[in-house]
Amino acid sequence: MDWIFLSELAINGALTGLLYSLFAIGLVLIYKASSVPNLAQGGLTMLGAYVVVALSHDAGLPLWLAIPLAALFMFALGFGIERVALRRLAGRPVVMILMLTLGLDIFLRGTTLAIWGGTSRSMELGVSYDPLFLGDIFISRIHLVGAAVAIGLFVAFMLFFRSRTGIKLRAIADDYTASWSVGISVERGVGLSWALASVVAVAAGVIWGEVQGVDQSLSLLLLKGLTVAVLGGLDSILGAVIAGIILGIIENVGADFIDPLVGGGSRELIVAAVLILTVMIRPHGLFGRHDIERV
Amino acid sequence: MQDKAEAQPILSMNSVEVLYDNVMLAIKGVSVQVPKGEMIALLGSNGAGKSTTLKAISGLLKAERGRISRGEIKFEGEDITDALAQNRVQKGICHVIEGRRVFEHLSPDENLTAAAPTGMSRSTLNAEKEKIYAYFPRLAERRNSQAGYLSGGEQQMLAIGRALVTQPKLLMLDEPSLGLAPFLVAEIFGILQKINKEEGMSVLLVEQNALAALEIVSEGYLIENGRVVMNGTAEALKSNSDIQEFYLGGGEGTDFHNVKHYSRRKRWLS
Ligand SMILES: Nc1ncnc2c1ncn2[C@@H]1O[C@H](COP(=O)(O)OP(=O)(O)OP(=O)(O)O)[C@@H](O)[C@H]1O
Ligand SMILES: [Mg+2]
Repeated sequence: MDWIFLSELAINGALTGLLYSLFAIGLVLIYKASSVPNLAQGGLTMLGAYVVVALSHDAGLPLWLAIPLAALFMFALGFGIERVALRRLAGRPVVMILMLTLGLDIFLRGTTLAIWGGTSRSMELGVSYDPLFLGDIFISRIHLVGAAVAIGLFVAFMLFFRSRTGIKLRAIADDYTASWSVGISVERGVGLSWALASVVAVAAGVIWGEVQGVDQSLSLLLLKGLTVAVLGGLDSILGAVIAGIILGIIENVGADFIDPLVGGGSRELIVAAVLILTVMIRPHGLFGRHDIERV
Repeated sequence: MQDKAEAQPILSMNSVEVLYDNVMLAIKGVSVQVPKGEMIALLGSNGAGKSTTLKAISGLLKAERGRISRGEIKFEGEDITDALAQNRVQKGICHVIEGRRVFEHLSPDENLTAAAPTGMSRSTLNAEKEKIYAYFPRLAERRNSQAGYLSGGEQQMLAIGRALVTQPKLLMLDEPSLGLAPFLVAEIFGILQKINKEEGMSVLLVEQNALAALEIVSEGYLIENGRVVMNGTAEALKSNSDIQEFYLGGGEGTDFHNVKHYSRRKRWLS
């Protein structure tokens, strides 16, 4: 057994996993404030990446300006989605809202295809491609940056959900009607959660755009992001971070063992297995809130 | 000046009709007045339209695809018939909804925080919380546990406390006694009375437990089939023979004997 190789797989797996977490945090934000899984998070992430590329490459702005501007734009867009689409559905069955987010995802993919075409564009963050050596283990720099961003957002949102506004968002997720009854603006709360998730989508879009290029396939991150969010418990930010690390390691190390046996392609199988097994064995995930039995 | 304040009720609801889903007429011209600083009861049996009346006042109908199709509601003289729920809370109406719907995954302390009006300073909020914990010492003990695991009585206290954080001028409660032991009902009603006296807060209390309710209110309305069928002082209602027969039932609430009489009565009312 080559321990150095194995730990390299594990460490890079964990870093990739944190990039999944970065994506999944957006899902959790919306779930935490409205109990709806947002199937458009992939589309938002892709759009976030495109907007940054459009502002930096096409409009010639420096990245330090392009990224905050894109975040601002996406923040407003998140509020807009609630105002235009979600508000009409308040009080309807969750499955209707789910279908709406799916429609939104398809819409976003179509829009970016129409505006920017289908060829992959590059993000060009300027992070060096030279690997970083940690002893004998080598690590990708962009993954390290992405992992740091994920952890930064994790800390920020942990604090946010203890603030008064954050507590109101959690209250909304618990009970819309009770929230209305004490004067909480459920609409504004849901809008805020979408706005914040859209900002997270910019962060995820920038990092993932650098890793795999900016094109429509960024929206497919939804599958891994959902797996991480479900494994973590859908409404737990801590869960999203830990589940990301776990999935990243299992996927990276597992694929190394299984790929030679089945001739490649086992990553997807591992992700699928994790998602299916979580739902079957532990539907609340690792850290999700349990529904309290009322007696 | 004095006379005018007395003449003008804090809440006045005039001939209000409510439609659910544009077809189901749930209340048919209900008029209710709450004088400032008074405690008023709204009595009636299952499906009479009590909760609908409260939702019409608090603006929570929209969430259930209901709407006011006729009549008007005035709060402190101002027409609020079409106001948003959150604006009504700002004006001073708070509705403790049916079924102790606390925020289960939040702690009692966070439940109170969640209800704080935007713009309430941290020190005011803390003072408000301490006042509520003083009214409900049981809540103070459990302020950091998970609200979903509180006992039924504690959850009802929390639901009331959560409403008090919004500093209401009119507190509306929907069947707070439901499923609680008599001593707890007495405790909670005692606290309501105390808050009413100390803070001059008006109270509109919906109850099926007419016996307990009529002990603490000054006036009551009886609703049947979406209409007010009786209105009078608590004393008058308590001594009314119909009320005694059908709602006070010898002090035991409902037993099967009363239910049978009740259905007979319902026929000639509607
Ligand atoms: N969301 C709704 N949609 C359609 N009909 C409704 C809705 N809510 C209540 N109703 C109907 O309106 C009528 C009055 O209901 P309401 O809940 O106001 O009665 P209630 O007096 O509060 O009864 P209870 O004591 O059982 O709570 C009932 O016939 C009920 O079926
Ligand atoms: Mg009711």
